[in-house]
Amino acid sequence: MEKTTVVIVGGGATGVGILRDLSMRGVAAILLEQRDLAYGASSRFHGLLHSGGRYAVKDPESARECAEENTILRRIGRHCVEETEGYFVRLPEDDPAYEPKWVEGCQKAGIPIVKLELAEAHRLEPHLTKRAEAVYRVPDAAVDGFRLCRQNVLSAKKYGGRVLTYTEVTGIEQKNNQVEGVRIRNTITGELDLIHCSVVINAAGSWVGKVAELAGISINVIPDKGTLIAFNHRFTDRIVNRLRPPANGDIFVPHGSVTLLGTTSSPALKPDDFTPATQEVLELIGAGKALFEELPQFRLLRAYTGTRPLYCADPTADGREISRNFVTLDHSGEGLRGFVSIVGGKLTTYRLMAEKISDLVCRQLAVDASCRTAEEALVEDVSPELMKSAKQFFPSFGIDLAASRLGPDFAAAVERVQTNPQKRELVCECELVTLAEVETVAADASTFSMSDIRRRTRMGMGTCQGTYCGLRGVGMMVDNDLAKGTAPAELLREFLESRWNGIRPIIWGHQMREVELTRGIYEAGLNIDGAVPDERE
Amino acid sequence: MKENDVIVIGGGLAGIFAAITAARRGRQVLLVTKGVGAIAIGGGTIDMLGYDASGVPVRCPWEAMTHLESAHPYTLLGRETVAQASQAFLSLCAEAGYPYMGTLQENQWIPTALGRVKPSCLVPLTMNAAHLKAADEVAVVAVDGLKDYSGKIIADGLAQCPGYRKKYSIVTLKTGIEDGRDLTALDVARWLDTEKGQAACFDQLSRSVRPGGVILVPPVLGTRPDYELFHKIEQATQCHVLETVGLPPAVTGYRLRKLLVKSMTQLKVRMIEQSNVLRATITNGRCCEIVTGNLDRERSYRAQSFILATGGLFGGGLQAAPGQVRENIFNLPVQVPAETDQWSQEHLFFTSGQPFGKFGVKVDDKMRPVDDAGNVLLENVFVAGKTLAGYDYCSEKSGNGVALATAYRAGLEA
Repeated sequence: MEKTTVVIVGGGATGVGILRDLSMRGVAAILLEQRDLAYGASSRFHGLLHSGGRYAVKDPESARECAEENTILRRIGRHCVEETEGYFVRLPEDDPAYEPKWVEGCQKAGIPIVKLELAEAHRLEPHLTKRAEAVYRVPDAAVDGFRLCRQNVLSAKKYGGRVLTYTEVTGIEQKNNQVEGVRIRNTITGELDLIHCSVVINAAGSWVGKVAELAGISINVIPDKGTLIAFNHRFTDRIVNRLRPPANGDIFVPHGSVTLLGTTSSPALKPDDFTPATQEVLELIGAGKALFEELPQFRLLRAYTGTRPLYCADPTADGREISRNFVTLDHSGEGLRGFVSIVGGKLTTYRLMAEKISDLVCRQLAVDASCRTAEEALVEDVSPELMKSAKQFFPSFGIDLAASRLGPDFAAAVERVQTNPQKRELVCECELVTLAEVETVAADASTFSMSDIRRRTRMGMGTCQGTYCGLRGVGMMVDNDLAKGTAPAELLREFLESRWNGIRPIIWGHQMREVELTRGIYEAGLNIDGAVPDERE
Repeated sequence: MKENDVIVIGGGLAGIFAAITAARRGRQVLLVTKGVGAIAIGGGTIDMLGYDASGVPVRCPWEAMTHLESAHPYTLLGRETVAQASQAFLSLCAEAGYPYMGTLQENQWIPTALGRVKPSCLVPLTMNAAHLKAADEVAVVAVDGLKDYSGKIIADGLAQCPGYRKKYSIVTLKTGIEDGRDLTALDVARWLDTEKGQAACFDQLSRSVRPGGVILVPPVLGTRPDYELFHKIEQATQCHVLETVGLPPAVTGYRLRKLLVKSMTQLKVRMIEQSNVLRATITNGRCCEIVTGNLDRERSYRAQSFILATGGLFGGGLQAAPGQVRENIFNLPVQVPAETDQWSQEHLFFTSGQPFGKFGVKVDDKMRPVDDAGNVLLENVFVAGKTLAGYDYCSEKSGNGVALATAYRAGLEA
């Protein structure tokens, strides 16, 4: 049994942002996540750190919030953000009257835009359609949702914040209309426990309604399904948006060696309705080829799906501070004190959302401390001394990537390589992940599976989608006694199956060949899952 | 222009074996190939039929072949043809001084780099699974720096397979091969081709392994299709030595390809490599020539009959686009569900196979392409190997077996 002041439910960007905010204000807090960090929409999106341009016309308040938060995140989250900048591109079929409205909206929201000569725009992005009629430059950026969540947690931990992953909430304990604690279940061991607390913050994203139900409260959240596709090329160095009212399939975001295209929108059957469909993929390619005509020829890597929690407000309910972008709900008006929820919003404004709900909770707790999350970096830069010493051992091409990925854990990886130079070998050649890095993450107490390692290191997220690094990863798990009784073939099967959901809707062209190579090696060649005759027969 | 009796398109196992079969009948054969085929991916074992449609292990392929679907290539051929093809393959290997072992009566369960055993049928003598089965103690040899091969995966994995709960120890071999890039099994095999490598290897092994036991090694026992090194290492260690099936590049497959190409050359089959066949000219239901397009210009090659062995979705003989799959050279029909969502199963690895795994060209019992109604589309074109419809070699473990048997028939008919 544990005791704390605040329990936060949900390990997405909002939840970890709240954990960091409260911890920095000196409020004791524990965050609970049913899976791994960023399991929901915080990783299942396009990874775009909005400049605000997308909202400049229809939602000026969101646009201003995005513009401000974008600037803050570039500063505090340097290692999660790639400053790519972005384009807004108007095509002949887009309404020309929208352009001046958009320019004005951007100016009002404080978004610095620059109109480019078309020749210059094409010089910088040669694949962009020559049909473009107007191109503006905006400060969009690419953000890594996994890393952002992880680094918020690292920061929170410095201030005493705690995290339990693979832990689900099974009940909210209450007495005299006041929250008293949370019943939890470890989803790996099945162990049950109780955490005493006086406040529960429901930041469960698409699951926010399910968590509220446990407290007997109804929140009308409808999950909406959004599918994206990843291409095996960085065919644009900049984020590319259509200069028109936001629609499906009109955002391209480069990440590392791949480019993402999003997003579709359709009602989700459940919060984890994460299965992309071929029809959605074809719809995205159909829409996206207006900006990049060669799109149908580019090799697809995978598709993936997340759900957006769309909040439908009940106008008669009270006790809420409403923003156009996100909503904080204080449920004391519904008869339960110490239970608050936060719904809606977008990753770009996660810090602001965390600030608002932390303000609310601090007022309830009579804590007089103000938000400092915009002032301090999530993780400190790796020191020049450590970088220098790392350069003697680490492969030079992977060193900056590894330092950014690992943050404070980088020193441990460097030490591994120093002790045994063979650990500089690459496990994942696509994403340049070294054995030292994988072992460092594997040794972390919050790592339970190959997929956990993948999310932290990007191992298996590149061109081969795990075909080659999979076996090495398993070897490393086994060598470090992390298999916990699971047969090696089973570990690998799980890892490759976890990638299949996203490959299945796009099996044609080169990706079909890759799938057949994977099956040829592991199923036909190494018999990953075929039965072995039982001796007792 | 010199006219050939037979032109084979494709240089994988099916193409080469079809060329050999036709050449042995006295036909003048030209083989045109774009790449080197997938022999070295499969590890050089001839898997005939390892699992039935519900994923139950097959003990006797000869018997299990009678229960296959009517569209399965084995059913079309008849199992007698499969037996003749196996016999022809075994004789060929024996004549070339690199005999394979096994019969259609019984599968052999050979160890793999994933710590599993898999049902195969005809295997090199370096994969004699009976020794592993009978052993009490097994030394698993890993190679320092060979990162795609973990001794512990094999030891831990096998120890969890029913019937293989033995005492495993791990021996790590140091090669001293100059660092600089990642080591592959082929590098180690080349090292073991040298006397210096052999001496270093035997020395390390005989110091760490007790005589009388069983040693599992990666597929690295030399690049030549002979058993010289194999006999030497068994003598030096006084142990039974077994090669496991590993990740590509698979040296055991490389050896088999060397053997086959040599036999083919001895039979005076001409081979044109790195040649891209663009299309075929068809008149009155017969193919009269194929056209290649390479770096310089287009060239035509004429023949009386043609064997299509260009592989499937992996090999490049079939190409998939959303909602459709096409055969690249003759534009033969390939039936697939229009909805791509129906091409696959929920899991990547599926006991009854993937629907897309069975995509391919339909043929008659002579391996000639047919339409839906069973009418022969091209009288003098014969299809072999993974271009064919009706079998998912990954789940049933039948890849090289179907390639051999269909190539044999095609080679006899062409």
